Amino acid sequence: MSDAVLSARGMRKSYLSGDRRIEVLQGVDLEVRAGESISIRGESGSGKSTLLNLLSGLDAPDAGTLQWAGGPARVELRAEFLGMVFQSFYLIPEIDARANVLMAARMRGRPGPAERARAADLLDRVGLAARARHLPAQLSGGERQRVAVARALMNFPKLILADEPTGNLDEHTGDAVIELLLALARETRTALVLVTHNPAHAKKTDRQMLLHDGVLR
Amino acid sequence: MPWYLYLALKQLFPTGRVFPFFTFMSGLGVAVGVALLVVTTSIMGGFGHGIRGMIVDTQGEIQVVSPTLIDHPIALVERLEQVPGIAGATPFARGVVMLQYHNKPDFPEIQGVDLARVGKVIPFERYLVAGSLDDLDDDSILVSAQLARGMGMQLGSEVEIYSPLMLEKMKQDEILLPRGVRIAGIFEIGHQHLDRRMIIAPLRLMQELYGLGPTVHGISVRLKPGVDEFVLARQLNETLPAGLQALTWFESAADFQSVIRFEKYMVFFLLAFIVVVAALSIMSSLLISVVRKTREIGLLGALGGKPRQVAACFCAQGFFLGVTGTAAGLLLAWLVISFRNDIVRVLARFTVGEDVFQQFYGFVNLPSHTTGSDLATIIVGAIVASTLAGLLPAWRAAQLKPVEALRSE
Repeated sequence: MSDAVLSARGMRKSYLSGDRRIEVLQGVDLEVRAGESISIRGESGSGKSTLLNLLSGLDAPDAGTLQWAGGPARVELRAEFLGMVFQSFYLIPEIDARANVLMAARMRGRPGPAERARAADLLDRVGLAARARHLPAQLSGGERQRVAVARALMNFPKLILADEPTGNLDEHTGDAVIELLLALARETRTALVLVTHNPAHAKKTDRQMLLHDGVLR
Repeated sequence: MPWYLYLALKQLFPTGRVFPFFTFMSGLGVAVGVALLVVTTSIMGGFGHGIRGMIVDTQGEIQVVSPTLIDHPIALVERLEQVPGIAGATPFARGVVMLQYHNKPDFPEIQGVDLARVGKVIPFERYLVAGSLDDLDDDSILVSAQLARGMGMQLGSEVEIYSPLMLEKMKQDEILLPRGVRIAGIFEIGHQHLDRRMIIAPLRLMQELYGLGPTVHGISVRLKPGVDEFVLARQLNETLPAGLQALTWFESAADFQSVIRFEKYMVFFLLAFIVVVAALSIMSSLLISVVRKTREIGLLGALGGKPRQVAACFCAQGFFLGVTGTAAGLLLAWLVISFRNDIVRVLARFTVGEDVFQQFYGFVNLPSHTTGSDLATIIVGAIVASTLAGLLPAWRAAQLKPVEALRSE
């Protein structure tokens, strides 16, 4: 039996631009195994974010199939199956770092002591135990992204999809965030799909792929 | 607490901030609307309640009347006093006379009361500002304060009364002689309508003036505390002899009460627009919030939030603003009602002066009577309006597709 946490076959996606149809993805095949880290690079506009949206179930493909953990990808499974990290962090500004991390669990039901302890533990592991009660506006860019990483790990996901997580960070901070993300993914045996422009970050993953002309190689 | 309610509360009351501007201003609109509605309906209710008290004090809760004259009033009084719930009954006769003092005439209403029984029904002593009921006999009357002031009458003044019966005598070429009486007391009930032109006379004097003989126009009935006058009036109407009818104070002053009630509803209707405007302001603010938080809404979708849960988050904000604003409005209304007379006095002092205010408006002390049904209507109305105001923003938020929302600039 395959240990693939994610399996995409023949995924196609096109958009209408004026009266012209642009084929962004032209039959993408991808299989991600448990604990594996994969980087996807590609030029701007090559469809990397579109691919991640399809893999996360946020968008529907024109054609192709998507499976999560051997079964059909269903939106209601997203919260427990996937963790997502975005370039712009997307923390909720009205609540503190700890509550932001806990939000992922709260969306699956009422968080109990175990969830609160895990949120505190995750913040400790990303080095923000002392900043747990700070609002996002009181954190630096790197700290915000570390909170987002902790949030992505909160529900023990099988897979983390990271869409250019260092895009808004300086080089040094970006390196640190990638190191942290990879270390936590390995430690928790969580698969990671990392979309990045940075070749150095890509090289740190188990498998490097390139999206070019709508095809993943 | 479900995540959408938690987030709704946090967006209104973010961690570390006590009074966010948006929440404060939106809640303030609802609070002002609720406060104005409660204060005005309470004061209008106070006037209505006060007038009810005055009507009941001057004629009892129920009057038994007949289209013709009542022949054996004492028998009817004794029969009524046997009815459970009735504390006392007294006969009365009423009409209009011409009063003349120092060649100055006026045409007051006159009510004849049975001096032996009236005390059980009508507490005249409470309203006497001069004189005494003990001094009232068949050759004297009580006059209302404004009538006394207007005609320059004082306690002990001798006045002349002309009744419609004298006109009948004139037709028959009989000699017209006015009835001379003395002012034995002056009363002030506190309501312009009742204080303007009113005479209280002993029943025998009234019967003499109108040629009624032993008959009367009706029986005033006072009920024991806690007895529902409307229920008892219905019971009496089922048992009274044909031709007699029991009317509650409300029915006997129906036109006046209807005007008061109509005014109250009109004021309520007009002031309700303040709550509507406040609700529109909440809607506008929440719509802006949906636009401003588009990417956050996208994130909620990405984290597993369903569109209806995202909608509930914004709808709940309208509800919470309604609850908070209503609570603040009730507190504000309570403060205003508690200090209403001080506020009126300050206003009067800085405008026309308390005396002029009293003279023109007939009061300086504002009455207040808040009913549970009025309060419930205002509270439910304000909260429902605020919650409905959240529906459009909620619908807009639910329509956003996470993938597009996350991509928005």
